[in-house]
Amino acid sequence: MNRSTLPKGWDGFAHDWAADQKVFKGMSWGKAMMWIFLLSDTFIFSCLLISLLTGRASTAVSWPDASVVFGLEVFGVSVPLLLIAIMTFVLISSSGTMAIAVKYGYEKNRKLCTIFLLLTALCGAAFVSMQAFEWTKLIVHEGVSPWGNPFGAEQFGAFFFMITGFHGTHVTIGVIFLLIMARKVWRGDFDSGRRGYFTTMKSDYLAIEIMGLYWHFVDLVWVFIFAFFYLW
Amino acid sequence: MLKHYKKQSHEIGVYLWIWGLLFVFSFFSYMVDYLNFEGTFRWTLIVIFMLSKAALIMAIFMHLFWERYAIVNVLLWPMTLMLLFVGIMAAESEYTLFTRLFYFIAGS
Amino acid sequence: MPEGDGYDYKIEAKAYTASSSGASVSPAESPDQELYHSKSWWTTYVFSQDAKYIGIQYFCAATAIAVLGLVLSVLMRVQLAYPGLNVLDPSTYYQAITMHGMIMVIFFLTALFLGGFGNFLIPLMCGARDMVFPYVNMMSFWIFLLSLLVLVASYLVPGGPTGAGWTLYPPQVITAGTPGNLWGLVLMLVSIVLFVVGFTMGGLNYVITVLQARTRGMTLMRMPLSVWGIFVATIIALLAFPALLVGGLMLLLDTVLGTSFYMPAIIATSNFGNEVSTEGGSPLLFQHLFWFFGHPEVYIVALPAFGIVSDLISVHARRNIFGYRMMVWAIIAIAALSFIVWAHHMYIAGFTPWFGFFFASTTLMIAIPTGIKMYNWLLTLWRGNIRFTVPMLFALAFFITFLNGGLTGMFMGNVGTDIALSDTYFVVAHFHFTIGIAPVLVVFGAVYHWFPLATGRMLDEGLGKIHFWITFVGAYMIYFPMHYQGLQGVPRRYFEMYNSSQASSSGLNEFITIVTIVVALSQLIFFYNIINSARAGKKAKKNPWDANSLEWQTPEMPPKHGNWGRTLPVVYRWPYDFNVPGASKDYIPQNVSPSQVRGAKAERT
Ligand code: HEM
Ligand SMILES: [Cu+2]
Repeated sequence: MNRSTLPKGWDGFAHDWAADQKVFKGMSWGKAMMWIFLLSDTFIFSCLLISLLTGRASTAVSWPDASVVFGLEVFGVSVPLLLIAIMTFVLISSSGTMAIAVKYGYEKNRKLCTIFLLLTALCGAAFVSMQAFEWTKLIVHEGVSPWGNPFGAEQFGAFFFMITGFHGTHVTIGVIFLLIMARKVWRGDFDSGRRGYFTTMKSDYLAIEIMGLYWHFVDLVWVFIFAFFYLW
Repeated sequence: MLKHYKKQSHEIGVYLWIWGLLFVFSFFSYMVDYLNFEGTFRWTLIVIFMLSKAALIMAIFMHLFWERYAIVNVLLWPMTLMLLFVGIMAAESEYTLFTRLFYFIAGS
Repeated sequence: MPEGDGYDYKIEAKAYTASSSGASVSPAESPDQELYHSKSWWTTYVFSQDAKYIGIQYFCAATAIAVLGLVLSVLMRVQLAYPGLNVLDPSTYYQAITMHGMIMVIFFLTALFLGGFGNFLIPLMCGARDMVFPYVNMMSFWIFLLSLLVLVASYLVPGGPTGAGWTLYPPQVITAGTPGNLWGLVLMLVSIVLFVVGFTMGGLNYVITVLQARTRGMTLMRMPLSVWGIFVATIIALLAFPALLVGGLMLLLDTVLGTSFYMPAIIATSNFGNEVSTEGGSPLLFQHLFWFFGHPEVYIVALPAFGIVSDLISVHARRNIFGYRMMVWAIIAIAALSFIVWAHHMYIAGFTPWFGFFFASTTLMIAIPTGIKMYNWLLTLWRGNIRFTVPMLFALAFFITFLNGGLTGMFMGNVGTDIALSDTYFVVAHFHFTIGIAPVLVVFGAVYHWFPLATGRMLDEGLGKIHFWITFVGAYMIYFPMHYQGLQGVPRRYFEMYNSSQASSSGLNEFITIVTIVVALSQLIFFYNIINSARAGKKAKKNPWDANSLEWQTPEMPPKHGNWGRTLPVVYRWPYDFNVPGASKDYIPQNVSPSQVRGAKAERT
């Protein structure tokens, strides 16, 4: 039995759910788990964003204009949302490199896979640093805090720090795992069947794909944060 | 084993294309702000670009396009459910604002 | 990343074909799971990665915290009946309510059904060797234990635990005057966050084990309803806990940082010394987030109970479950509906006027799948060969109790009646019947049923029957009068009735309290039975209840690490082949192939 011989489309849907052993045919346990976890995480971010929009729509005080608050002065010209645009750029790039790393993972290309993983981690780290810069700028120079800001509704700062903080935590965790994965790939753990330190189980290149899912998800969430917090 | 890898692996060009498209969409959504579009037009554009980007990332980068319907449906329907929550909360916040303004202005 | 699956269907297991009826079972799709092997006493018995041990650990921890919840409820009852004794003052009463509610709903029943029964039963019933990620599964338990410690620690911090009711509504929960409005609340929220994290680790295991690690021949529609209930409840939990997490996070920030997510303008709070004035937050937002979690939560507790009770009824009535597919779809329908009814807890909160109609309609719609389940249980019993074992008694008691609670639910679901009944003892009676007593009765039944599997010994039937009658009749005597009290207007969450007109129900209160004490003490019989039988109980024979599901078909009983010995079982039929015409015995286990029961006329697959 091979995956390519299974029925496709809706027939495949019915077939897979009615079959024994596995619902997601040909999918590893780890990957299925990551997908379901991401589904759960989606609900977390949805709740955060729904709260943001609710808070914003129900306050009677005016909501600060994000494009001004997050503008930067470059050579005397003020450009709206400049830093955010760069951060978006960096994060999307990291998604691109991650996708390529996954591709080389499939092909068991140790060297290129490592390089692209490291590139991804680099972009991720750059993103977090820029976020740290942004936070400092807001807190120190503009007097924005979670409990108040000079521009308008209090909830602005509160939601900003909570949502970007939560997302930033995801990015940071991702970077740490990217580095771990890069080390594993480089050392050849996935070829030699070296066992994990904690789990004592063997692992393989599928781990890169799973890592990739997580990383793309972090990017995906940023797309929504960008739209709802900065642009809306 | 290798055969399967080959099947899941795509030309690098696909990823580069999508990467480029994501930049383009991001640029567009940035322009929405830069050009100061307002009101419904602004929101529609924001949502369209947002969803296009999300779709590209999920479909190509996360390989959902090549996955079987069994998993695709499991992922997409619950997310759709969230729309109901969004709708309810939209109505709710309108109403909260209304009561606030009403009592602030009409007095107690 | 633990290894479980190859990349392709390389493993060519010999397709097993049962010759006579042509029923064939597809070959294994992935290699056998590599088992974790412990190296020391610590990793075998304490930091165990075997789902069966983890299940028992969950069971013990959840039961331990339930004892605290029970003690609190007895204290509350004593206070209500004999205000003169002053066992509690207003603050401690509120703290007791809050802790009791939170403990019972989340830390006891959720953990017990999903963490306890889920871990123990899912791999065995699906024919897996273990959960898919044993290490993560172990971490899940230890994080849960940590969350329990944090929760209990709130009795030690200045101000004591939070006293705002288990719903933790802001702004009241934060403002001065509410007991434990700072440290107690912080610990409560941290504990909840830990619980959610720990649960997610376990929950992913349960879901993926059911979806991806079943044995050959085990289709979803051949799974016992217990697994269905736990599985669907876990999915609900994975999608509902995020709302609690986010709601709790924002509440935490409001408490420690002085943000105003939920805090409206009138209030000035003082947090960690610095005065912060808050403005413009929306308390309703919290209620929505809380109940977006809170309503599905009651089904997280109820669905496993539904599932388990179906199996108890079927096995002990020697009758196939009536309408198996309908039962499965009803579980799924209830789960889906449970996400769109949440605001029925907020009829008196002052939300958008037209919500009432929407949420009342969806709420009443849930009665349809639930009703289907009730009728199917009844029809399963109909002309069954009922054996009045202790598990069966508990299952029947569940049926009556849940029916009762469901009927009062019709009153609570309608806006008109609910507005009158909200915050009275009618509500207390309703939710204790549905998510308090009914699931706990199932837990007892399940323990009597699966105890032999866990220990190899039977629980004492005689003691079990005494325990059953005291608990069941006692529970009725406690809660039934509360309906009447509620209709008289006795308010809930009051620590004393003073000289109000409600004081007239004090005679009833004394009665309820005395019964409560008896019921609480009678649980000692249960604990004695467990401890004594585990040591010196009657040795159980293999498959003592003549059940069909896979957990009883392991080579050893109790099953060893890895469950199945050398070869995994192969499944040929659903788990409800009881009294099949022509078969020599009145049950046919799931792993018996058609060729082995040639005489049998009817066979469901
Ligand atoms: C014999 C066992 C039990 C007794 C005697 C008991 C008693 C009580 C009492 C006296 C209250 C406070 C009523 C008030 O003043 O408003 C209460 C509240 C509550 N109980 Fe129980 N209970 C028991 C078991 C359970 C169980 C098993 C659950 C599991 C779900 C549970 C869930 C709750 C909840 C959620 C509340 C509401 C807390 C609040 O108002 O914030 N109880 N119970
Ligand atoms: Cu509800």
